[in-house]
Amino acid sequence: MTSAPVAPAPVRPVGTTPDRPAGSIRRRQRLRRALTGWAFSAPYTILFLVFMAVPVVISLVMSFTDLRSTDLRNPFAVNFVGLDNYTRLFSDDLFLRSSLNTLVFVVIGVPLTIVLALAAATALNSGLLRFRGLFRVGFYLPVVTSIVAVAVVWRFLLDPEVGLVNNLLRVVGVDGPNWLFDTKLALPSLIVMAAWRNFGFLMVVFLAGLQAVPADLYEAATLDGANRWQQFRNVTLPMLRPTLLFGGVVTGIGYLQFFEEPFVMTQGGPLSSTLSVSYHIYNQFGFGNYGYAAAGSYVLFVAIVALSVIQFRFLGERK
Amino acid sequence: MRRSRFAAVAAVALTASLALAGCGRDSGGGQDEAKTVAEGKASGEITVWAMGTEGEKLAEFAKEFSVENPDAKVNVTPVPWDAAHQKIASAIAAKQTPDVSMIGTTWQGEFAKTGALDPTPPDLIKKDDFFPGAWDTTIVDDTSYGVPWYVETRGIFYRKDLATAAGFPDGPKTWDDLTAMATKMKANGVREGFHLQPGKTGSWQSVMPFAWSNGAEGVTADKLSFDSPEMTEALAYYQSFFKSGLSAKDLPDGALEPDFVSGKIGAFISGPWHIGLLEEKGGAGFDQKFAVAPMPTKKTGTSFIGGSNLAVFKDAKNRDAGWKFVQWLSKPDVQVKWYQAVKDLPAVQSAWDDSTLSGDPFLKVFGKQLEDAKAPPAIPTWEQIAASFDLEVEKLCKSNVDAATTAKTIQQKATAIGTGS
Repeated sequence: MTSAPVAPAPVRPVGTTPDRPAGSIRRRQRLRRALTGWAFSAPYTILFLVFMAVPVVISLVMSFTDLRSTDLRNPFAVNFVGLDNYTRLFSDDLFLRSSLNTLVFVVIGVPLTIVLALAAATALNSGLLRFRGLFRVGFYLPVVTSIVAVAVVWRFLLDPEVGLVNNLLRVVGVDGPNWLFDTKLALPSLIVMAAWRNFGFLMVVFLAGLQAVPADLYEAATLDGANRWQQFRNVTLPMLRPTLLFGGVVTGIGYLQFFEEPFVMTQGGPLSSTLSVSYHIYNQFGFGNYGYAAAGSYVLFVAIVALSVIQFRFLGERK
Repeated sequence: MRRSRFAAVAAVALTASLALAGCGRDSGGGQDEAKTVAEGKASGEITVWAMGTEGEKLAEFAKEFSVENPDAKVNVTPVPWDAAHQKIASAIAAKQTPDVSMIGTTWQGEFAKTGALDPTPPDLIKKDDFFPGAWDTTIVDDTSYGVPWYVETRGIFYRKDLATAAGFPDGPKTWDDLTAMATKMKANGVREGFHLQPGKTGSWQSVMPFAWSNGAEGVTADKLSFDSPEMTEALAYYQSFFKSGLSAKDLPDGALEPDFVSGKIGAFISGPWHIGLLEEKGGAGFDQKFAVAPMPTKKTGTSFIGGSNLAVFKDAKNRDAGWKFVQWLSKPDVQVKWYQAVKDLPAVQSAWDDSTLSGDPFLKVFGKQLEDAKAPPAIPTWEQIAASFDLEVEKLCKSNVDAATTAKTIQQKATAIGTGS
């Protein structure tokens, strides 16, 4: 390919192709840039497609079929059942029961955890407490402890005969109940345990948020005669809004999927009073009802999205 | 944006391929013909999956098989029980199965229905060698898809001293005896005369023996009948122990053995593994203080039979040698040796004639009980039905529901689940 010399040819490194009309060059360059880009992103894209997108799509398709574990060898020979799985879910009393349990868990558990975390963070930040480092570690410790260890300890604490909780109650003359075996108390016990286990994480987040509040705002508020509570209401809370939103969304997502606590503490009992939606889905997968369980997962997914949207509405940036 | 377009393309492609390939399922397996196994000694590599203690001990034990079959080599992969179901299911889906695997009796229906298991060759394995209740757990759609490996069953453990004081030195013989003994024990100051599981996972294994003993069927391969009068009567009997305070509703985990040793519990229903547990907890001489009675009779004294089966896969690379290994494990003398190695009770009847087993007073009772012991049929939905059953039994024991209502609810739930055929 010989070239017609055009203008003063710029010095070109050895080995590059000769000149061509300007449009073609640009197209080639764009193509090469695109190829380079794709080559760089290929590892991620392929991994994403193979391990994320495809399974997600398959599970969605699965939720519209009657796939069971007995179809394993021949997964394509299943029937499409449309929305059958979804309609069946809402007439399944265990699913409804587990939805109610999960709702209670979220509606009580999330605010409880946030309030606890905020209280601990404020106390640590304001210097009310001595030995701050110690408390910070202490509050955070449950977050990084294995749920199995936590469950064992809590089962001891809540034991009706020898448990610490009931022994303390006995000191003040109250005969404590059998916490985990009572249909009315098992779920509240788990909520308290979950709040205790998780507030440490939010506390750390809130602490960071608190430290980002400019000190001069408090100074101004003090000059205006605001007391501590008013400062908290009118300075701290508004400034913490984005942090609170983050905390609410993250905790909400975690609590909607609550599973470990009943799995290790109560196995969903007594009488399904601690069965959560995730646990129900887990059981259905275990029974081999893959299509049905997939449908349940998507209902839970929609619920999580809905909860997050609601929180963004309430706590999000106001314009 | 790109990403969602890709997802959409993938979705369309998948849906299309599913729609094209998925024109409904065929009538399902079950018409399998058992193929014969080649004559001669086994050869080649045999891969075997086994769970729990069996998985740990089998590799060493199988060396003797290689002595008899010098060209064969047994590779045992131990699989933890928690992961076993998933692992076998994945292997079936990927058609990458081992040659032989241990299969929990309640999984037999599900895995056989996938069409992954090879029917048992009758020329090699003789049905009559095994306890009938154990053999039945391998049958799916009238075809056997496995071989019972070891078994366990349930009997009544009771404190001899407390039972003698209550007027039943040889333990309860009938349902009425059992109630009378427990009542008398309670009157004598025992906290729980007869401990029963108040619902929760696996409680059906304690309830169904009473139902079967009363002539109730509960479930067969193609019929659900949990609402029969016999079933209701058995449920009411089970409930009576909770109603009259002879059995506690909330015994904490791990409290059963110490409470039995200390005499707070007079009797309970369980399997052979409790012999060792009690001897260990009770210390020296405690084995003289308790005894095992067979299930008390109503119409019969039928118990539950559990255990594990061995199955060979259709996708096995070395099918013939796999079956030969299974046959070897089913030989009476090998079964006795296996009992000595891991304490698994033989599924082969004639193995029980060996003095190792017939000489043990506790085991003798279980050996006799095995002749009248049943298991639910191998249907793929049994685990799910059992979970509903356990839940209703929990209500029965804890919240005073009427037994007839419980029977009806179980029937209704089980019908909604179906037998999976």
